[in-house]
Amino acid sequence: MRAWVLPCVLLGSVLVKWAMGLGSYSAGQGTPPLFGDYEAQRHWMEITVHLPVREWYTYDLQYWGLDYPPLTAYVSWLCGIVGSWFDPAWFALDRSRGIETPGSKVYMRATVLALDTLVYLPAVLLFTRVWHPHRSKRSQVRNVALITVLLQPALLLIDFGHFQYNSVMLGFTLLALNCFAKNRDLLGAFFFVLSLGFKQMALYYAPAIGSYLIGKCIYLGPKDGLQLFIRLAFVTSVTFLLLFLPWLPPFAPPRAILDPVSRIFPFDRGLFEDKVANFWCASNVVFKWRAWLERGALVKLSAGLTALGFLPAVVTLSDGTTPVLRLLPYALLTSSMAFFLFSFQVHEKTILLPLLPVTLLLSGAAPDSGPFAWCALVNNVAVFSMWPLLKKDGLGTQYLAAIVMWNRVIGYRPFRVREGMFVQYLSMVVYVTLLLLHVLEMLVPPPARYPDLFAALNVLASTPVFVLTWLWSIKCGAQALWALGGLGAGAGAGSRHKRTTTLSPVKEGEERVQATGLGFGVAGEVHQRRGSKGDARTT
Amino acid sequence: MSSPLRCRTHVQAGRRPEEILEEEPKGLDDIEPKNPSSWWHLDASASEWDIFILSTSLKLLLFPAYRSTDFEVHRNWLAITHSLPLSQWYYDTTSEWTLDYPPFFAYFEKLLSIPAAFIDRRIVDLNNLNYGAWSVVAYQRTTVIVAELVLAAVALKFVRGAVDPLMQRIVSASLVLHPGFLIVDHIHFQYNGFMFGILLWSIYMARQGDKLASGFLFAVLLNFKHIYMYLAPAYFVYLLRSFCMSPQGQLLPRNFLLLANIVLVVFVVSLGPFILMGQLPQLLSRLFPFTRGLNHAYWAPNAWALVTAADRVLLHIVKQTGVKLALNASGVASTSRGLVGDTVFAVLPNVKPIHTFLVTLLSQTVFLVKLSRVPTYKSFLGALTLCGYTSYMFGWHVHEKAILLVLVPLSLLAPESYAYFRTFTIASAAGVFSLFPLLFTPAEIFVEVLCSILWATLIFVPLNRRLYEFPRSLPSVIMDLLEKLYLAGFLLLQVLVMALPALEAWITGARQATGATKCIAGEFSCPEPDPAQITKSEASNLAFLPLMMTSVYCAVGLVWAFLRLSFIYLRQE
Repeated sequence: MRAWVLPCVLLGSVLVKWAMGLGSYSAGQGTPPLFGDYEAQRHWMEITVHLPVREWYTYDLQYWGLDYPPLTAYVSWLCGIVGSWFDPAWFALDRSRGIETPGSKVYMRATVLALDTLVYLPAVLLFTRVWHPHRSKRSQVRNVALITVLLQPALLLIDFGHFQYNSVMLGFTLLALNCFAKNRDLLGAFFFVLSLGFKQMALYYAPAIGSYLIGKCIYLGPKDGLQLFIRLAFVTSVTFLLLFLPWLPPFAPPRAILDPVSRIFPFDRGLFEDKVANFWCASNVVFKWRAWLERGALVKLSAGLTALGFLPAVVTLSDGTTPVLRLLPYALLTSSMAFFLFSFQVHEKTILLPLLPVTLLLSGAAPDSGPFAWCALVNNVAVFSMWPLLKKDGLGTQYLAAIVMWNRVIGYRPFRVREGMFVQYLSMVVYVTLLLLHVLEMLVPPPARYPDLFAALNVLASTPVFVLTWLWSIKCGAQALWALGGLGAGAGAGSRHKRTTTLSPVKEGEERVQATGLGFGVAGEVHQRRGSKGDARTT
Repeated sequence: MSSPLRCRTHVQAGRRPEEILEEEPKGLDDIEPKNPSSWWHLDASASEWDIFILSTSLKLLLFPAYRSTDFEVHRNWLAITHSLPLSQWYYDTTSEWTLDYPPFFAYFEKLLSIPAAFIDRRIVDLNNLNYGAWSVVAYQRTTVIVAELVLAAVALKFVRGAVDPLMQRIVSASLVLHPGFLIVDHIHFQYNGFMFGILLWSIYMARQGDKLASGFLFAVLLNFKHIYMYLAPAYFVYLLRSFCMSPQGQLLPRNFLLLANIVLVVFVVSLGPFILMGQLPQLLSRLFPFTRGLNHAYWAPNAWALVTAADRVLLHIVKQTGVKLALNASGVASTSRGLVGDTVFAVLPNVKPIHTFLVTLLSQTVFLVKLSRVPTYKSFLGALTLCGYTSYMFGWHVHEKAILLVLVPLSLLAPESYAYFRTFTIASAAGVFSLFPLLFTPAEIFVEVLCSILWATLIFVPLNRRLYEFPRSLPSVIMDLLEKLYLAGFLLLQVLVMALPALEAWITGARQATGATKCIAGEFSCPEPDPAQITKSEASNLAFLPLMMTSVYCAVGLVWAFLRLSFIYLRQE
């Protein structure tokens, strides 16, 4: 039976994802003239199939002009080609706008599922093998870790309910992390560029990943480090060049590259869109930023704050003494959460980026531990923060089902305070608030003066949790760094060879990290057992 | 599953049904109910809650799925029972979906219509035909989930106090997660889970030795849906022999009168009001419309499906070889109409309702004689299953959904021995597959196929591991091999069934593609694809071929499982 568990888990997750897609999609279903995100994705398939590459970023920009990097465009092209085999009407140029036939809907949903299964699923599977290797004996726990990541409600709801392809971007980033854990830094850099090339939002991770790699170069010393650095630079730039090749000389005039770039980084939009649970939108309730500052100043201010926000991640990773892979998830969280909270033009869906490291941490945390409580809380609050969007989409039942299912699967009991940790009290307060807000919204119509009252309350309830999570990730990073740094100093000089072992996830520093309660592990017993063997396992 | 000493802390961190099923009981506390008489004290363990919560979440996700006209049928019944007085329930013809279930189900609908009216008044509006707003969808789908709690509770009760709680746990999980219910109730839309819950409750009472309660519950069930009459002979013989008679065969008048009175009371409560109003003939004419054909539109995979298929093949041979044979003209016309309409044979002699009735009765008698000789609970289960099975095999105008009448009691027999389990496997595979044509939209087909594969893996694998027996003789080795081949054939069949329409769509698509390219080439006016042309090709002969293949292939398996089960049952000591 044991051999059957993994296939069943995978099959079950596919079933849940597909069932999620039976419902309606992005707010725009059946609402001309622009429809919604679904139509945007479909429209890109339509234009990439029918137009020459050079026109992809210039064709009728008013109607869902392509504004994601080239890999999205290439994937859209492939999906469009395959879809046209089934029915060319789904992607007929211009004439297919707003097409919502059952057949085309099933096909579009199937493309999300297929891409998710091709990229995200293997990435998560590898992750549970690479990052939790010490639990090979306990396949059951590893399967729980697997299902924790696979059924993460926020991603399910956005990709399979609302309709987007975030799991592809996240899957590439996760593949990069897996490669880093296996010391395949070049392959990792390649995958991360693919992630960036699919959606520019992966930039949120760039400070953490960049400083991890640079920190590793510094750590390896002038000779090896420089060699690695040059190789990394080469792989990264070649991958980027290949992705943007059709817009570069000699295939296009030099100015052509501006078409995609100006579409990918649109600074001519607002500070934030709709209601998003970040610093700008939340503080906007009392402080009308847009009235006080002009756009240029706001851009600079947000850039500065964002940089400040991810600075701790950069510092902890790149000081060159201990570029520890184990810190990477925390650094990714710090960095992406800083972007989410402070950067310019953030969507509510962007919370998916901080959620990836959060869920990875969760998958490795022991139930009832501090990290477990934090990560579960953030996940739930993140889903709640997208409630106004999901409500607009008509995904209320899916929202309920996804949350209930996931919380049950991970064995989360938010209303049981055991250790008296701060986060448990915080969770209680937050959950009671969220439930109250939901009940209020159901019973009381918003006053005519404030039609968006509940969306605003949602932002006010969610933002503090996100800010606290950001601070928590900084704290965890610093503590873990201290624990490992202390160990490194204790090991003394001349143990360079030994210290390189800290680059791989299961290493000697584990007991210390575990002792501070931040480890990437589940049960103390496993770690103690492993801790004694850890030294022998050098890379 | 290898070790019962599983680390609890890890198990807490998240369990899925497949693990839960194998979880070893921790001690006697887990098996013995603390208070077996209380129905409210269910003592569900964490793993049982897991199954319940996860499956319910999945059912929530199925809310927006395709729903058949049965959904509107039940909405209409909500409206009838809510807006009309009792006296008009069985007379109303505002909608074509008139009330044709017995009174208890009508009362049940009346009960459901009260909250419905609060949620959305338009749900219970008699003239608001084909109402499909989100409110009514969410409400009706929710009532199915809530009503199915009966099934979940009874399945749980079955585990407590079972001879082998581990096996029973798997069987109970199999019932709660049955893809048949998922397809027929939660997508197609019906209340089978609820009513099979009552049936299982009645069987559970029989297992506990409370035959009076068992008889009472079955009488109640009959007044919810009369299709359970298929099972009535087994109940009658069993209760008569084991409750109303002493083991020596003497009538126990007290018990007999008690049972008779209880059943009578149930029927009086149900039918009484209509008898008083003199509406019984009208009610019965609604319940038993004898105006339908031998086969349903899609042949339910029973014996008649094989006979019908044989007739088609024979006709083909006759036409090819030119043998002089008296052909039935209307039968020849019937074959060209595909699956629609009444079935009239072209070569073989025609079958009349009385024939099917006689065949059913005769074969049932064989099993009932055996039951009356050995009126034990286990024997009752076998006879009950076979009673339903016989009716399904030889009944007049059988619906494919009726296979649940066979599969549900058969599940309870599965852990008895490897032979029973093997029969259960074949019948379940063929029976569940035969339900697939109920759903024909691609999105839902994917759901049903995935669910069925998952269910089969989660149920068959652990049961097989526990019950497996080596085939001992050459015939049994060959049989074993053939059965495995047959089961593997379902994969091929599913691929074929999906490929045939896709192939057709491909041809249609290619035709349209040529039109589209012409359009891009710079023409100012694009010729619109002719809709008539597309519908014509879709309605071509290929359309009903997959249905016929499914029906015949499943019929082979179901007939074989029927013979197998009869053999095992009759040979049993």
